Amino acid sequence: MNRPPMLMHVRVRNESTNFGLWLPLFLLIPLALVVLIILSPLILIAVIVLWPSGWGKLAILALWAAIVSFCSLRGLKVDVQGRNERVYISVV
Amino acid sequence: MTENKKKILEMLAENKISIDDAYRLLNVIDADEGGQASTPKPESEVKAKPKYLRVNVMPDPDAEGGSGDRVNVRVPMSLIRAGIKLTSLIPPEAMDKVNGALRDKGINFDVRSVKTEDIEELIEALGELEVDVMSGRGEKVKVFVE
Repeated sequence: MNRPPMLMHVRVRNESTNFGLWLPLFLLIPLALVVLIILSPLILIAVIVLWPSGWGKLAILALWAAIVSFCSLRGLKVDVQGRNERVYISVV
Repeated sequence: MTENKKKILEMLAENKISIDDAYRLLNVIDADEGGQASTPKPESEVKAKPKYLRVNVMPDPDAEGGSGDRVNVRVPMSLIRAGIKLTSLIPPEAMDKVNGALRDKGINFDVRSVKTEDIEELIEALGELEVDVMSGRGEKVKVFVE
């Protein structure tokens, strides 16, 4: 698994707006971890209850897939430039 | 026939090595005799693993009324890999629906048949991908990996 992304740079420019935003994703990671720890008993119960139907395993896999996808975002760059507007998203 | 080749054929006859092994060894000996063995490949031949899928759309510079939309997208291959692997999370009922929808569109493909090894192979093959399209309006579209 890759190292999780640290920052996301969003820049939107058009005739009326021009702003750039650096989102500190590294601050979200501890926050998400805390939420996950708090919710872990509930998640565990839900997984145990849903396990016989097969959805429990699916829920765990989905959670893992979400984490892997988030970690894979590093290096993503989208730059769309029109005549008078520009949208730029970069994950570093 | 050299001594080494004889030895390999003897080992093959005695079932000590497989046909594939014998073939590989004979190729190595042939290359050795041709003076090409153990020569390191030039750096250009050793392809690095692709890291990003790039999509570039460039407008026609000579177009009237200024420039069109310019698109530059770089997607990490790891994200593509993770995305494709998400297909394993699709519940079987949904898979049937996807298969049905594909069949309606004339695509006879079973989504359930996609395996992790196939995905890896597919991503490896993407390394060779290069699409270069020039539209009638002068826009250039390039899809490639780097």
